[in-house]
Amino acid sequence: MKIVKRTILIALSLLLIPVTAVVTAAGKQRFADGPNRVFSGGPLESGELHTGSEPDWSFVSEIPTIEMQLLDPPRSRRIWTAEFNGKLYVWSGYMGTVVGRLWKRWPVQAERDGRAVIRIDGKRYERQLVRIESGEVLDGISAAIRSKYPSQTTRAAVEAGDAWVFEAAPRD
Amino acid sequence: MQYFYRFIAVALIVTVVVVAFVPGVDDLVEQIFQRYLGRAAR
Repeated sequence: MKIVKRTILIALSLLLIPVTAVVTAAGKQRFADGPNRVFSGGPLESGELHTGSEPDWSFVSEIPTIEMQLLDPPRSRRIWTAEFNGKLYVWSGYMGTVVGRLWKRWPVQAERDGRAVIRIDGKRYERQLVRIESGEVLDGISAAIRSKYPSQTTRAAVEAGDAWVFEAAPRD
Repeated sequence: MQYFYRFIAVALIVTVVVVAFVPGVDDLVEQIFQRYLGRAAR
């Protein structure tokens, strides 16, 4: 019995090393100007702020990921994006799984307060995230997502709540 | 066991210092974490 206890204690102690490494890396990223991979970054501070007319978002078809920051809380993350019918969309998958809901908290935060800043190629844009839960437009958005990424997002998945889709609309 | 706990304590301090201050180590940690997180979420 004593050996089992000791083995468990040793295993847990050794497990503390990678856990510490992950916590340290995640904590360090919080102080950075933007995210890296999966860890949230700090506010997007550098880069020219776009003013003027609405951009032609078709250029994002060549952009694999964008940086997005919510105003509340002021944390940024790297996410996929797609353009459809001249509008810009962002989304979050895995929302139907427990791990996904724990991992991706920004969609819930964005639904509460959609004010966001996105940074693409070093240029920042002020946006308002508006969730789209149903409608025919989801057929087109899902097709745009699937044609750009190895994703299985469908209108049915969005309407079932497995994926949360937001339009990154202009902010008033 | 006392020596083992000392080893763990030193290892934890070294881990924090290396991840926080050695360039590229934080990115490597994040890369590995991303791999496991992606698998777990599926």
